[in-house]
Amino acid sequence: MMSYRLQRLPAASPAVAFAARLVSVIAALATAGLILKLAGMEPLALGAKVISSTFGSSFGIADLALLFSPLLYCGLAVAIGMRVGVWNIGAEGQFNLGAFSAAGVGLFVAGPPVLILPLMVLAGMIGGALWILIPTLARAYAGVSELITTLLMNFVATLLVYFVATGPWLDSSGMALATTARLPVAIPEIWDIVHWGLPVALGLAVVLAIAFNYTKWGYEVRIGGSNPGNALYAGMPVRRHLIFVMLLSGALAGLGGVMEVAGTVHRLQGGISNNFGYIGIMVAVLARAAPLGVIVSALFMAVVLNGGIILQPQGLTTQTVLAVTGLILLYAAIGDEFARYRVLRTIQPQD
Amino acid sequence: MVSIADPMGTVSIQSRLGLAPGTPPLVALRGVAKYFPGVIANEDVDLAIYPGEIHALLGENGAGKSTLMNILTGIYQADAGEILRDGETAEFSSPIDAIAAGIGMVHQHFKLVNAFTVAENVHLGWSQTPARISARTLEARTQKLSQDLGLTVNASARVSDLSTGEQQRVEILRVLARDAKVLILDEPTAVLTPAEARELFVALRAFTARGNAVIFISHKLDEVVEISNRVTILRGGRKVATEWTESCTEKSLAQMMVGREIVLNNLRERPKGATIGAPVLSLKDVSLKSHGAMLLKNVSLDLHAGEVLGIAGVAGNGQRELSHMLTGLAVPSSGQVHLDGVDVSMSGARAMAEAGVGHIPEDRLHAGMSPALSITDNTVLREYADAPLAQGPWYIPRQALHLAQEIAKLAEVMVPDFAMPARNLSGGNQQRLVARREMRIADKVLIAAYPSRGLDVGAINTMMHYFVELRDRGVAVILISEELEELVNLADRIAVMFHGEIMGIVPGEGVDIEDIGLMMGGRRNT
Repeated sequence: MMSYRLQRLPAASPAVAFAARLVSVIAALATAGLILKLAGMEPLALGAKVISSTFGSSFGIADLALLFSPLLYCGLAVAIGMRVGVWNIGAEGQFNLGAFSAAGVGLFVAGPPVLILPLMVLAGMIGGALWILIPTLARAYAGVSELITTLLMNFVATLLVYFVATGPWLDSSGMALATTARLPVAIPEIWDIVHWGLPVALGLAVVLAIAFNYTKWGYEVRIGGSNPGNALYAGMPVRRHLIFVMLLSGALAGLGGVMEVAGTVHRLQGGISNNFGYIGIMVAVLARAAPLGVIVSALFMAVVLNGGIILQPQGLTTQTVLAVTGLILLYAAIGDEFARYRVLRTIQPQD
Repeated sequence: MVSIADPMGTVSIQSRLGLAPGTPPLVALRGVAKYFPGVIANEDVDLAIYPGEIHALLGENGAGKSTLMNILTGIYQADAGEILRDGETAEFSSPIDAIAAGIGMVHQHFKLVNAFTVAENVHLGWSQTPARISARTLEARTQKLSQDLGLTVNASARVSDLSTGEQQRVEILRVLARDAKVLILDEPTAVLTPAEARELFVALRAFTARGNAVIFISHKLDEVVEISNRVTILRGGRKVATEWTESCTEKSLAQMMVGREIVLNNLRERPKGATIGAPVLSLKDVSLKSHGAMLLKNVSLDLHAGEVLGIAGVAGNGQRELSHMLTGLAVPSSGQVHLDGVDVSMSGARAMAEAGVGHIPEDRLHAGMSPALSITDNTVLREYADAPLAQGPWYIPRQALHLAQEIAKLAEVMVPDFAMPARNLSGGNQQRLVARREMRIADKVLIAAYPSRGLDVGAINTMMHYFVELRDRGVAVILISEELEELVNLADRIAVMFHGEIMGIVPGEGVDIEDIGLMMGGRRNT
């Protein structure tokens, strides 16, 4: 008698885990394609169009880079939060605050760009950090879950940006509706319209990977994030690390906002965050909170988002794209679980 | 069972309880067994509860009291044996069945909704609660129940505003309102003041006088003697005896509770040159207060180099706080902790570890390890900041792996993959790794809290030999344990804790187990 049964392994091997991720992404795209087919569209043709438009021209690649960069900042912000056991759902708001603070400096402080740009970066990072300060203190000192507090702060930040962009800071030239005037300084460009925001983000990913894996501090954060009781037992400053990493998370998302407003959009306008903060959560989860993994998952998400933009003239809405990203996350979670199983073939002796 | 008052066993239980001959027990367990993976929780337990009696259930932690009561209240189903209700077999597949059969339990930790009133709590989840309710009808019904059952409660009060004694009364009212005939109380006096306890006893006697019965779980010997008619002693999941309480003394109960077959294996023999030295770690009149409760009360201890000091006592009597005090995890409310004559009361856990105090904590998975992290991360917890694992601010994973491999080898734990989460290791292997990790830093003192909890005999044996090894090196060892066997075999002195106090310290050599049992039950050694 031969029979098959499933065995659950304690941990998936890296190769199997990677293959499962790949299969789940393909399955998610296939599911989306099937639904598009049922809606009377040609999924293969649409896919081909996305690929040729994205990678077929330097415009396409530059657009992709401009989406890649904010996703990196937000993905890193969420990922380092996860390292310390925190779900920063507020990257969206911190991104907005970063953009707001940088735009404020850019619009109202006069001076040479060499002085103003660092000031904008500093202001944006402080703005992002301030925006997570209350959730941080509530979590560190009162044990209040940061899930809700960081989420709620998003709405305030988004509305604040809408308010100043259409009210007090509205472009007085009358040339533009619902935005501020063009910022007098900009993040320098390195190639085409791609600015320094992208290489800085890539550099930060590497620095963070080193900090978390190759420093004593990173070890302490790892223990404290995984089991605070264990860290206290070993006499580690759990609260100090929690506060620092949460503020750093806010500052990173804020920096993303600075790069967006001063490098890509050049004006502060409502909706500048463009859901990057929320998609950053997906980026971080897909990367399993590894900073270098964020590079891969952010690039992938950028392709998906860019595909959505390309397909808008074909009658696809941004909601469709968000639905696809949701599918990918769902399938990845399922794939992660399946990766831990293997099929055993057992042969039972005949009586 | 032969008792002193009735040497021939001719007088029936029924007649001694004033019942008609042949009255069946309200509820009885016959040959009940319950097995968990690798553990016998209960085996071959008989228990009969007759109308009108208060039946004490006595036993140490882990003796199987809770499992037995969970079977009786339908939370667990027995793997063998049967339950009889009024002489007929009954099957309790859920707590609802048990409640319908008139068996109710008040747990040690109350299960009330704090934000609700007393009336709302009494009526919550009760089939007889009227469909249309108003606060007034609920309160009137509660008031009536309270009068009928002789349990005074304020029906409109919010539970969060009540004292623990009052909350307990609400719990009991809740159970009795559902027509319970058998009331099970789990350590009911642990949370009560002496005055509240007396009130409770009066209410219990009134309840049994109406032909009902109480099962009273406790490890306090004086109470058992005071309140119960009969007492059943459990040990290691089995019934030791059922006795008429009037024929027992605190001493005889203590003996039955703890006096198992102690395997004597004296580990106190030392090699030449290994002697007990000067005090290294001392507690000087240390008290710890938290939220108004005295968790430690004027504890003074001297721990000498090269000695094993055992701490006995029923878990939850201040042992955890004591271990925290000795390892810098807690700061005394008053008094001082001295290490080598220096006051270290405020030094904190890291400084104590660096000064050579190792700590095997009681909850491995919550304090001792990070189960989701790799075996390497967990094994190097005490040395990640020292060379060669660290250089300046840097942490060197390659060196960490070397150290982890070295510790695993010493601990004789086979690790297929050091990057694997530590939770995949068995409890015994986790404990070996933690113990070896702590032994490496324990130059002066090792505090081991319940090191053998959840381990099999082989692993426990290894653990004991680790302690011997340290002791012979001149390290002072504190062994907190509920296994008297370990303490008797290994400890040079045994201190017994009860309600945050030390009841007495006795030499381990030739110790009288009964003395320990009495001190565990709150008798001070004079």
